[in-house]
Amino acid sequence: MLHHARAALVRIRELFRSRSHSAAEQNDEFSFHIEMETAENVRRGMNEADARRAAVLRFGGAQRWAEETQGARGVVTLDNLARDTRFAFRRLHRAPAFAAAVIATLGIGLGAAIGIGTIVYGVLFRDLPYDKPEQLVRVGFITDGIGISGDLHSSATYFHFAKSARSFTELGAYWTSDDFNVTDGDAPERVTVALMTPNTLTLLGARPLVGKLFEPGDTSWSNVRSAILISENFWRRRYGADPSIIGRRIDINRGARNVIGVVPRSFDFPTPAVDIFYPAPVPVKTAQITARGFNVIGRLRDGIDPRVAAAELNALIPSLAERFPAITPDMLQRSRARVSVELLKSATVASVRPQLVLLGVLVAVVLLIATTNVINLFLLRTERASQEIAIALSLGATRLAVAERFVIEGVVLGLASAIVALPVAALALSTKFGFTAREIPRLHEVSFTWETAALVLGCATLIGTAVGLIALTRTGLGGLFDRLRSSRATSSRNWRRAQNGLVAFQVAIALVLLVAAGLLGRSFWNLRNAKIGFEPRNAMTFQVSLPWNGYTSYADGAVFHAKMVDRLSVLPGVMSVAVALRVPLAGRGASTLDLQLQAGDGEGRPTVASAGNMASADYFDVMGIPLRAGRSFRSGDLRGTPAVIVSELLAKNVFGTTDVIGRTIKQSRVGSQPMSFTIVGVVGDVHWERIEDGYAPMLYFPLQRGGDGLPSDRSAVPGRPMDVQYVIRGTQLPSTPTIQEIVKALDRRIPPTNIRTLGSLVDAATARVRLTLLLIAIAGVAALLLGVIGVYSVVAYAANSRVREFGIRLALGAAPTRVGGLVLGDGLKLVFVGIVAGLAAALGTTRFLRALLYEVKPTSVAEFGGATALLVVVTLCATLVPARRAARTHPAVALRGE
Amino acid sequence: MTIRQQTDALRGSLDLLILKTLSLVPMHGWGITLRIQQMSEGILDVNLGSLYPALQRLEKNGLIASDWGTTDNNRRARYYRLTAAGRRALGQELDSWKRFTTGLDAVLRST
Repeated sequence: MLHHARAALVRIRELFRSRSHSAAEQNDEFSFHIEMETAENVRRGMNEADARRAAVLRFGGAQRWAEETQGARGVVTLDNLARDTRFAFRRLHRAPAFAAAVIATLGIGLGAAIGIGTIVYGVLFRDLPYDKPEQLVRVGFITDGIGISGDLHSSATYFHFAKSARSFTELGAYWTSDDFNVTDGDAPERVTVALMTPNTLTLLGARPLVGKLFEPGDTSWSNVRSAILISENFWRRRYGADPSIIGRRIDINRGARNVIGVVPRSFDFPTPAVDIFYPAPVPVKTAQITARGFNVIGRLRDGIDPRVAAAELNALIPSLAERFPAITPDMLQRSRARVSVELLKSATVASVRPQLVLLGVLVAVVLLIATTNVINLFLLRTERASQEIAIALSLGATRLAVAERFVIEGVVLGLASAIVALPVAALALSTKFGFTAREIPRLHEVSFTWETAALVLGCATLIGTAVGLIALTRTGLGGLFDRLRSSRATSSRNWRRAQNGLVAFQVAIALVLLVAAGLLGRSFWNLRNAKIGFEPRNAMTFQVSLPWNGYTSYADGAVFHAKMVDRLSVLPGVMSVAVALRVPLAGRGASTLDLQLQAGDGEGRPTVASAGNMASADYFDVMGIPLRAGRSFRSGDLRGTPAVIVSELLAKNVFGTTDVIGRTIKQSRVGSQPMSFTIVGVVGDVHWERIEDGYAPMLYFPLQRGGDGLPSDRSAVPGRPMDVQYVIRGTQLPSTPTIQEIVKALDRRIPPTNIRTLGSLVDAATARVRLTLLLIAIAGVAALLLGVIGVYSVVAYAANSRVREFGIRLALGAAPTRVGGLVLGDGLKLVFVGIVAGLAAALGTTRFLRALLYEVKPTSVAEFGGATALLVVVTLCATLVPARRAARTHPAVALRGE
Repeated sequence: MTIRQQTDALRGSLDLLILKTLSLVPMHGWGITLRIQQMSEGILDVNLGSLYPALQRLEKNGLIASDWGTTDNNRRARYYRLTAAGRRALGQELDSWKRFTTGLDAVLRST
């Protein structure tokens, strides 16, 4: 015991003693020795010079002993480290294929793992950037019984809970809108507005960058303060971070408002896209539970559990009927009304949690595979170097030195792969694979930071060290004798079995990904070549939203649009211009009509769901939608029974035929009489929301130019053209500034938005599939690469350890091809197991891709066969290399090795 | 150690010799070589390449300790001395060495 403690003490002392001091002492000691020896030699009768030479000779070169003695003292010096690192570089330089394989495997694996891991962590686990985030909850109101999905509140339920609940210090309600135009200054702008009860910001713990936050009275329309807050982004973008912003009047849809403060960028509630925070009342106009649109969040009182709060709110539901007589207990029961209380953090990311967790697991598996492959490659290398090691040991190299060699090689390779991993991680974190906070909440909070870089370097070093150490234990430095006794055999067998399993697994994963990539590739091809029903080339579109003040009637809007069309039509290169409520494939955010239609003459015939649009006379011509029968719209089509045009699919769905000109179609409306229309034309079908959904049944209402074609009775008009799309076809399309100039000249408050070519709409419609295809294809190629490296290293390792057997076989007259066949057989067995497992897994999983597949079955034989063939060919090539080497084994060399 | 007639049997006995030498009186490295030479009547000649690493190893293991001192003719030298652990180790090593040589003797005599 004491003995050990003493040894430890000496070691510690050595650590603190500077090396030069130690070396100096040693020099003293040695020169003393030589001096004494010289004196002794002189005493024996030598002359001075000979005596000295003899003494030095006997000492055998002071420098060498100095080094050895240092080694024995247990000081690993920086000099040694630098030298060993140089050696490691030199050795790796001599094995470029090995080094490249390791660096690529580990670099890509680690980079992807850290990049995606950082995203998963940042989205799922990092605390929200608000005060005491563990107290913040989202309160949902759920009514499964009446077919309203989601967890939004009605004004009545929010009011009730905010008044009565004791579990919360505050409950706030908010919703967002893109329906606001800011019209101060020269350039009108479409903005994103968060409307909220004034307490919402304070309950989250927001602190203004400049100015103040809302006060409770700010929601009242008569409040002279007319307060709004703006976001830091909007402040910088539109006002150049003007410090005198406080008190500035801003004209927005609902009149002039005063800016009272700026909300910092770091506080990005509810989304980072918000430009303006608008104080809004939640008035209980009609006490219903069906009209819902409020997100409700709350701050729990200290020590209150979300479940306790949920229980309290659920108990308060029956008393809704007491506070609001319009809400009956029967209605509450029938709707199965209940309340959910979930931590705000998990509620924010609930929609993407399963996918992200899956992604995290996948990434961990990839890293595991990459590391295993690297270990296999290392083992293969050390197996080949085992003789060299044995010689080094017998020549007197210490085991520590040999061990050091392995670890340093591992660390050097680890750090080299960090050079690959860093840009991979940075790329993953900066592109975020094309996703935005719109699809994945909180994604904007994630970025590449110094911590990420440090994590990459740390992991690379750690994995490098671990790989070096594992390689070391497997070559049995500690067991030179073990090797003689061949006791490694059993542990080797287990190890090899694990290796084989992992490689088969890699092959399986590669196959699944390749099949998926094949299916998505075909799907993408089909989408690009789908007959979408309109001509996207040489055409563009943009959106205009008319403000409510100034455009109160159908005619006001119609006149504006007519002027716009006239001015756009005379631009050089423009052939035709049209207006519609919406264009196909315009994506979310554009307004759309959902109609319930019935044949006008067929009482009791089923109602058919249809999409609706409103189109000017030239719309079909400009879009390139063919007119199959009848005519397009003309002036006066809104008089009497208004005219409509139907798509072929709608005609078939409602009447069972496309011969429908002159027939009547009825639109059922909630809470009023059905409205009847006369069909004047039939047009070709278009893909409406998404290409994947195929053709949609469409009903077109006339969008008239105004003037004497309009009826005087407003109730006879189906909707008003307030938020519309212009479509322009021409050999030369107008530039964005030209369009902005033309709109501004008519009304300086209106910003044209979503200025795009029709082609870009089609691109965007296929973007989801393209992105997924790209990701899966990259993953597939990476998995294929990993699989190839895995198969190669395992087969080569196995072949290497059988080299003596091959030698004997060859010496006894076996044909080289037979020996090669043995190795090939080993490899094929692995690949076969992997492919069988992979095919089974692919059959089980490709159906999850169904939503992304277009006109290709998830079990398409061509894709399964193609992927399998590719995998077989590639892995066969990986097996051929060691097989050929085995066939060329020289018997004498193999046997001499032992 | 031992240049003349080096055999495997003697390898490793250097530690024992050092401990034995130091058990009498603290001594510097050169003194140790001289003493071993004298005591073995010139048969054993310590290889210096083994001596100093052995001294360091023994010190690291806590069997001996070292201090700087001055010699009779006023030269600075590092003196090594036996620690309590070293003294115990010496006892054990001597025992096993004796058993080893007895065994060796018996075998050699019987043939």
